[in-house]
Amino acid sequence: MDSTVDIFESSLNLEETHFKEGFDEGYGDGLISGKQEGEQVGLKTGFEVGEELGFYRGCVDVWNSAIRVDPNFVSARIQKSIKQMDDMLQKYPMSEPENESVSDIMDSLRLKFRAICASLNVKLEYSGYPRASDGGKIEF
Amino acid sequence: MEGSIANELYSEVLQSSSVKLDGGSNAVEANDNSYENDPGDLWYDDGSSCEDSVEKLNRASDMDREWQRRRDQFHTLGYRDGLIAGKEAAAQEGFNIGFKDSVFIGYSWGRVRGMTSAMACLPSELREKLVEREEARNKFKCLHESVQSLSTTDALKLFYEDQKRKSSNQEEAEPSSTTIELDLQNPDVSVLKTYSEQLHSLLSEAPLFEETFKIN
Repeated sequence: MDSTVDIFESSLNLEETHFKEGFDEGYGDGLISGKQEGEQVGLKTGFEVGEELGFYRGCVDVWNSAIRVDPNFVSARIQKSIKQMDDMLQKYPMSEPENESVSDIMDSLRLKFRAICASLNVKLEYSGYPRASDGGKIEF
Repeated sequence: MEGSIANELYSEVLQSSSVKLDGGSNAVEANDNSYENDPGDLWYDDGSSCEDSVEKLNRASDMDREWQRRRDQFHTLGYRDGLIAGKEAAAQEGFNIGFKDSVFIGYSWGRVRGMTSAMACLPSELREKLVEREEARNKFKCLHESVQSLSTTDALKLFYEDQKRKSSNQEEAEPSSTTIELDLQNPDVSVLKTYSEQLHSLLSEAPLFEETFKIN
């Protein structure tokens, strides 16, 4: 009877060993595919975030130039808002997607942008995302 | 017949062991198996016992098969768990890599969109002061129109195509023959970059703008 008990102990260990073997193999494959999948998502998100920031940057560039040409182009209050957007854009940590401040800065940028557009009485919208030609589904 | 009984028995064991992988199932297993390991057991007194040696052989190969099946089963279970764990562990790292590869490209493209859009919304006297030559103003307008016709998704597609081309460029190490082919495709390489370059050349024609661009 002792011998049978031993056999089943080893069978139990074998199950663990097989599970562990499978786990390690899966983990290795998971690291590779997880990184690839993450990279795809990162490429898309990075591009979108970059585009939106660049869009605001471009608008601020134009407004700054306009103010330099004609200081009365906008009120002092709006000029202040434009300056604030400028500052936020400069401190936005573009290469640190994990930085906790990014979503707050992006939210403030959007708010300021909308407020400035409303004061300027222009219909300037960040028109990037909505006009997707095919439901936004893209694969590499 | 022998085999079918064994299968029946095993399948129960397998079911119970796959449902609960903890130690609890092992007692059941041990019980079931202990019958089989005893040659003098009741089952073998059912008339077929005269072919004892053949049966033993069959039994041995059944056992082997069974072990293999169980090995595969546990291996698969482990693999599945491992795959999920591995993916979770590596996803953020991959995300960061992808993000950094695209954020600056998106940024320069977005800047073209932003500048041309804001330009189009300026009062015309101001626009005339900023960009003195009418020809340049028209170019701004054209650029704005072509940029507006591209959604973010379209731009993203162009970007993906660029990336793909770049990586296939790196993979193909043979220089002479492939570069010619790639040059042929060049007209639409980096459409996004072309827009950026167009904007820059327009800005260089508009000194007041260029100043702003340099500051940033």
